[in-house]
Formats: sequence, structure tokens, C-alpha cells
Amino acid sequence: MSKVVTIGGGLAGGPDKLGPGIAVANSGRVSWMGLDCLSERSLALGQVRRNADPTQGHWERIPEFLDGYGQFLMTGGRVVTNFGVANVEAAREAVIAGARKRGFDGLVFGFVHGDNVLDMAIKRDLELPEMGGRCSDYGDQVISANAYIGAEPIVHLLEQGANLVVGGRIADPSLFVAPICFELDCGLDDWSKVGNATVAGHILECGTMATGANYSDPPYRIVRNQVEFGAPLAEVSESEVIFTKLEGTGGLVDSGVAKSQLYYEVHDPSAYLTPDVTADFSDLSVEEIAEDRVRVTGGTGRERPLSLKVLVGLDLGWKSVGEISFGGSGCLDRMREAKELIQARLEPFQSEINEITFGAHGYDVLFGRPLTLNEPTEVRFRVAARCATRECATAVADEVFQLHWGPVASGGAISNIVPAIGVTQAFLPRRDVKLETEIIKI
Amino acid sequence: MKVREIAYSRSGDKGDISNVCVFAYDAINWPILRDSLTVDLVRAQFKDLVRGSITRYDLPKMWGMNFVMESALGGGVSMTLRADPQGRAFATLMLEIDLGAAPPEGSHAGPSEVCR
Repeated sequence: MSKVVTIGGGLAGGPDKLGPGIAVANSGRVSWMGLDCLSERSLALGQVRRNADPTQGHWERIPEFLDGYGQFLMTGGRVVTNFGVANVEAAREAVIAGARKRGFDGLVFGFVHGDNVLDMAIKRDLELPEMGGRCSDYGDQVISANAYIGAEPIVHLLEQGANLVVGGRIADPSLFVAPICFELDCGLDDWSKVGNATVAGHILECGTMATGANYSDPPYRIVRNQVEFGAPLAEVSESEVIFTKLEGTGGLVDSGVAKSQLYYEVHDPSAYLTPDVTADFSDLSVEEIAEDRVRVTGGTGRERPLSLKVLVGLDLGWKSVGEISFGGSGCLDRMREAKELIQARLEPFQSEINEITFGAHGYDVLFGRPLTLNEPTEVRFRVAARCATRECATAVADEVFQLHWGPVASGGAISNIVPAIGVTQAFLPRRDVKLETEIIKI
Repeated sequence: MKVREIAYSRSGDKGDISNVCVFAYDAINWPILRDSLTVDLVRAQFKDLVRGSITRYDLPKMWGMNFVMESALGGGVSMTLRADPQGRAFATLMLEIDLGAAPPEGSHAGPSEVCR
């Protein structure tokens, strides 16, 4: 029988609940945990925090992590995470100081540096295909550029005994592919096995979405005890992935949940691109082998992409969103009148408004059109604008508030103004991204 | 018959690309889904929400398919002004599509058979 790696997925993003993952870590069922703390925007938002304060830009919950995962780490468990976000150095300080304070003697910490490629992106004037332009078109609006990190530097750190590996933009599945391939002792150029490990990584990277979150749709799909979803854990061999959750935890692991998660954020199923592999999910099989226990087979892969994806953060000014409610007969007519008023009143700001949209919750906000012909009994008017200046964003918000005195019986105005940080993709040749690793023992 | 009667779905986002995967609950309904849920029907349902191409990838062993829709999120999750930046609700918009056919004889469509 081939070797089996046991690994859990503890987070689906930085703000996710830590408890379910900690329960898996402390269950005795896994040797490894992977924690994905990032979304596409995280690096750019982290860079903004770092620019404002050079000691910031990493995940803010490292003390909470150390409290929760201390027992796991001190009893031989090992963790791979990307919670360095935009400041791995600051995360390192927080981890080392926090570990010393808690008496975590004897632990080995590994750090991956070098995913920040902002200087290179600007110097080479990288193409931004989704924007139809290049970095130079955006000048000093280009605020961050981070290359995706694959399994390679992580495996290098694991070989040196790291109990905890921390990086910045480590690709979500690579958090899992690295420990799986390390423990199975399979080469990172063994594409079929790396493809199978990527199946596991893809299931685990979204935490409870593999155990029934984002799935309930009564009366068609009933998910038990969603109050406390269990986090997912997997048993991975060279050619199959079995995943499950702890007994007694909430949620559901069945073939429907498995299929939904396997193809979540996948485009061409025969070419799921990661820094590690061109994974092939086109011939997978799922099988319910026991309650809350599913086996996935057929995951394979081909040579990894030659280029690394880079996430480029752009400062696009300010985003302003305002809402106010109208109800009863004629609510749509009054809302349309409100829209005309807003447009007329914002006329002086036209040159500073880069984009503006109008819609109504309960009517057309999600789908751009109503799906029925019935007039709604109430609507919540929504104005959203992207503005070049804060003054303009404030004006948009203020004009929504002014509707309090507009068409009759409007109420409950709220507004929100946030920096508009856009993230778009670019590509760099893999060999040009120089990643470095660092080991610290305490 | 709406897609929701025989299938379930999940949507995901990467940049300005949305993917919506759709799976029949039962093998018997997979041919219906495969033959009737066409790219043209999906385009007609998503209308102006999707400005780019729509590609369908079939997953017969899963009794399902994956629709990949480009320029579909108003510029992408970080740039869009939409109320649902990730297009999470696209999964439900897909299930609202009317396939124009009745559930087949012996079909396990509907809530009573799929609840657990």
C-alpha cells in the first residue's frame, strides 16, 4: 500500500474562522495544515497598509494563530501558510517574537521572500492584458506587483525541517502541494503526481466550501448544522485523494459538494494552471465511500507553465456606494425620479467620475434586469461610482443622503467610501523571479 | 422545466472571468442537461452581464459542464461597481434558465428525491 499524507485546510481567507481548522489540527488525524489567507486583492491592500506603516502589511491575526496552532506545532504538526501577505519580514518578526513569548522552544521557521516584483514590473513595463494596456499607462497608480509562488521554495524549507513555512503570494494549491509531494517523496516534475496533489490542494484551499458551505439550497439541497461547519481534511496518496471532516462537526461531504468545489474557479478542466503544474481535472471520478467521506481519482497533469502569473495592484481613486429605500405602489417610479435628480446634481463632477452605475436591490442589482414582471413592493436604490478624487466620491455619497428630501417617503440612506484598489494580471518568465528562503530556529 | 429542477451549480471568479459549473443530480438527467443547456441559452440568460466569450466544457463523468464567461464581472472583483463583485449569484441565475422540456419519466428531479 502506498504512503498516505494527512493534511487539513484551515482557512478560506484572512477573515475566515480559525476554530474549525484548529479542531482538525488538534484531532490527531493530520500531520499537516495549510492555511490560505489571501484573495486576489489581499496583496494590493496589504501593500497599501505597508506604505502607510512599514511594520504592517502582513496578516493581522498572527497572535491568534499562534495561540490556536501552538499545540499542533509543538507536537510535531507542520503548517504552510501565505499569511506574510505583503510584508513577510513583518510577519517573521511577529511569528518569532510571538513564538518566543509563548515558549515554543525548538521550533524551526521557514520564510519565502522575493515575490514582490514591483520594480521589475515597472522597469519592464509589463503588459496588463485585462486592462488593454501596460504598466506605464498607469504611471504611479501601479502600487504593487507580486508573482505567484509555487511549491519549490516551500519544499526546500521543509527539507530543512521547518515546522512553519510563511510566504507572501504562495498560490493557494501550492500550500498543500508542497507538503504532499515532500512527504510522498515525489519530484516536483512528476507531473501526474503533482496534478493529483493539486486536486487535494484545490479541495482544501477554500476551507469549509469543501464541507458544505456555499451549498445549501432548500428544499433541493439540505446541509446539516451549518452553525459550525467542520474544516476539511484529506488523506492523499500518489493517485487518489480522500477527503472528509471530523465526526460531529457541521456540514456535509458528498459527491455534490465535491463536484462543486472541484470545478470552482476552474476554467478549462484539462488545463488548470498553477505555478506547479498544468493540472488536468478533465477525467476525475468522485465516489462516496462512507458518510461524509469522498474519494477523488483521476487527477493528473502536464508540465508547469513557463510563465508565472503576477498580480498587479492599481490605485484607481475612490469607490463610493450609497443606498436608500423606496416602498409601496409607485416605488419604481419614485426611484427613477431619484436617479434623474442624482444625475443632474452630479453634473459638475462628470469629469471626475470614471464609472457610475444605478440599480435597485430587490429588482435588478444582481442580474442587471428583473426576472419577473411583477412590480416589487419595495426597492433599495443603489448608486455606485468610481471617482478620481475623494471629493467627488464624497459628493456622490452626499447626493444619496440628499434624497432624504427627494421623492416622497425615501428612507434609510447609508453610504460607504473606500479606496478603489484594482488588481489585474501580468506575466513574467519563471527564471526571472528570484525567490529566497530563510530558516530561523528558536 | 428550470435547470434548478434537475441540477445544481457553483460560480467562481478569477479576474474578470466567471465560471459557473452545473451538475445534474442524477445520471438520467445528464443527457437532458447536455443537450438542452446550450451556450446560446446561457448567453440569452446572462445578456449584458457577460461582454466576452462563453465557452462550455463538458464533464460527462460528473454529469455536468463548466461554463467559462469572459469579461463577465464588470472589470473583475476588485474593480467592478456591481453589488455582487464575485458573481456568486451567477450560480442561481444559471439555475433559473428554462430548458423548455418536462422532466423525463422516471426522473429523480425535485426535492423529495434529492434531500438527505
